[in-house]
Amino acid sequence: MLRIANVMCVAAALAALSTTLLAQNAAPPAAPTNVPPTPSAPRTDKKPDVDMVESGQKIFQTNCSFCHGANAKGGESGPDLLRSVIVLDDEAGNKIGVVIHEGRPDKGMPKFPLTDEQIADISAFLHDRIHAAAERGSYQILNIVTGDAAKGEAYFKGSGGCTSCHSVTGDLAHIGSKMDPVSVQQHIVMPREFRWGPRAASAPPPSKRQTVTVTVTQPNGEISSGKLTQFDDFTVALITDEGEYRSFTRNGDTPKVEVHDPLKAHSDMLLKYTDAVIHNLTAYLVSVK
Amino acid sequence: MKMCRFGFLLPLALAASLSAQLLDPAWLLKPPADTWPTFNGDYTGRRYSSLKQIDQSNVKQLGLAWTMRIRPGQTPGAITGGEATEEQFKQGTSAANDWGSSIKSSALVLNGVMYFTTPDNTWAVDARTGHELWHYFWRTKGGIHIGNRGVGIYGNWLYFETPDNYLVSLDARTGKERWHKEIADVKQEYFSTPAPVIVGNHVLVGTGGDSLDVPGFLEARDPETGDVQWRWWTEPTKKGDPGSETWPDQYAMRHGGGMTWMPGTYDPDLHLYYIGTGNPNPVLAGQSRKGDDLWTCSIVAINVDTGKLAWWFQASPHDTHDWDAVQTPVLIDGTWEGKPRKMLAQASRNGYFFVLDRATGEHLLTKPFIETLNWSLGVDKRGEPIPNPAKEASIDGVLVSPATGGATNWPAPSFDPDTNLFYVSSSQSFSEFYLTDTDPHPEGWGAAERNAGGLGNTLRAIDYRTGKLVWRHDYPGGGGFSGILTTAGNLLFTGDGARHLIAFDPTNGKIVWHAGLGSNISNGPQTYMLGGKQYLLVGAGDSLYAFTLSE
Repeated sequence: MLRIANVMCVAAALAALSTTLLAQNAAPPAAPTNVPPTPSAPRTDKKPDVDMVESGQKIFQTNCSFCHGANAKGGESGPDLLRSVIVLDDEAGNKIGVVIHEGRPDKGMPKFPLTDEQIADISAFLHDRIHAAAERGSYQILNIVTGDAAKGEAYFKGSGGCTSCHSVTGDLAHIGSKMDPVSVQQHIVMPREFRWGPRAASAPPPSKRQTVTVTVTQPNGEISSGKLTQFDDFTVALITDEGEYRSFTRNGDTPKVEVHDPLKAHSDMLLKYTDAVIHNLTAYLVSVK
Repeated sequence: MKMCRFGFLLPLALAASLSAQLLDPAWLLKPPADTWPTFNGDYTGRRYSSLKQIDQSNVKQLGLAWTMRIRPGQTPGAITGGEATEEQFKQGTSAANDWGSSIKSSALVLNGVMYFTTPDNTWAVDARTGHELWHYFWRTKGGIHIGNRGVGIYGNWLYFETPDNYLVSLDARTGKERWHKEIADVKQEYFSTPAPVIVGNHVLVGTGGDSLDVPGFLEARDPETGDVQWRWWTEPTKKGDPGSETWPDQYAMRHGGGMTWMPGTYDPDLHLYYIGTGNPNPVLAGQSRKGDDLWTCSIVAINVDTGKLAWWFQASPHDTHDWDAVQTPVLIDGTWEGKPRKMLAQASRNGYFFVLDRATGEHLLTKPFIETLNWSLGVDKRGEPIPNPAKEASIDGVLVSPATGGATNWPAPSFDPDTNLFYVSSSQSFSEFYLTDTDPHPEGWGAAERNAGGLGNTLRAIDYRTGKLVWRHDYPGGGGFSGILTTAGNLLFTGDGARHLIAFDPTNGKIVWHAGLGSNISNGPQTYMLGGKQYLLVGAGDSLYAFTLSE
């Protein structure tokens, strides 16, 4: 039983390390270590020029937004242009130019005497908006601080059991000043994911508190322990405090393997959290300035 | 190269004397056990082989027969095709390179030759030696290069799909292109990954892509000309048509997603082709498509001659978590409550295991197959899960299991008629879902996901008659999300997350053999017989590995 418990615990830990977003039809997770975060789908069309986008937006607001909406997603009388096949096929105005110059008399769209340059700018603006919709890695998370800070504090200091490892005057001192709310929430729910997640670049270096360690006891009584680097059905490997690499062949319960994952409490919480608790904890920790 | 090509001609000449062409499609109805002529080996999708030269008593003698490392791209000697301009090719290739090149296809094995793909690339290889016979390279215009599931074969002709949405037909003997036909528009963010499935004189073709909001479809194409025989849209085409009552308006319906990115299965007696459809669009934001959103996230039965929908079952009504129901609908001929019955089973990405009557679509069983699933309020009278609205993406985030990657995904499950067990690779994952597009008409995904880890990955053996777990294997390293093969040798082959190919006892989940490879298994293991030897074949990253019993 103990062994099974350990196995489950480290499975969670290493699964976290191996996280690969299984996007629409993505690959099986790769090797369980050092997997970079999966970017959103690399795109093949060019990102529009920033100046053209800005100019195109102005021209669009003046001439087009009345019917097609300020965000080009359609309005009172004009269709959504971001899903328009003509716009998707357009390159630098070569398709939309015809519609703009000739209008759509049958659908009540008048002609617009815009220059080719102006039309190219509108095209850049529309394609920039399409990029923004299609590139899900670029979506901005909105205001997530909706919870009740007082309830969050009560949970933190009481039934949540958070204070057995954490303190708002110790490891979490000033966390609300150091991190944006989304980072705070991700530290609560997914501290290990955070390190490897899409915001890794702005994340603090991995804490020693997150290191998974292992103790291996061989039949002759010899004990090795250190940072766990590999654990599968056939092998366990570690790096000792002295920096020495050791690996062992596993054969059932031999050698004896004891894994310690300091974040196990967080993994266990995944089954217990309610969304309200997460929101309240976030509100509380964001207030710890 | 010359030697390879010459060596290739000899077996072909012999084959030609037996039949005028490599593959008569009627022969696919009962393919011999020593071949692997369709994506799943046969039309049932069971991924079970009756070969048993390799069995539990000798599996420890398995040794490497050969390995082959692919060289994708415009290599010297590659036959090239494509519609791209130089500029498109340059841009398309640079985006393609970001995906790397991993073998996610099944290899079709026939007359001693195997045919397999990666995005833009098709190879013919001697199944005895791993020697390359020819390599075809498609110069891409772009599209997402996430994977390709392989080729279909009809007569002497191969068919494969490209990320920029062309159906390409090659001469299997030489790799020379016959024709290519555009099946969808890459600028609308369609990209194509399935292996075409051949049924009679139909080449069944699907597509993918959910970055923008476009409708999905399944097509039958003429094997000689590539022309469309019929097209079935995965959503109703106009208000008033059956199914349109599950969408708020025509606009939502015609931008509703539902991609057909995995090969299906086929029952020749019923003339029905079974395929799972993908998630609705916008993907994670459901406010503009209130309703069940038929026929997204559904298992559908399509008359293969007419393209008409015979029946449907929706695995995820009103999905808002990217849980495509494209996992193989596995055909099971067995008994249900004591009576023989033609059935179909799917372990779906949303974490539910379903059993249906495949003649009528009648629902027989619905049961979760992961323990962490937290998004459902139960099951309705049709046997379909009821989504909990509180678990749709919200601005401040909701914690959902499974993550968008799913409780399982495209890697093939297996049904073993000897054990009567259904095997699936599963993941007990969690994510936070944040609504980012609060517009009444969101676009694309409309929400962001942040992974929250989970409780690891597990190989599961399920009794399809009860949905109960018979045994499980929890991978210590958390990985293990590969395709599965079962054989009459009382063996189950799959991979873990630590680069191992593993043989399990399918009756109890005990490990009986393993081998370390260069990468994790990236497709599903296969088997075939050649020259009196049973081969076990697997793709891992950029290499194929073939194992036989050591002499």
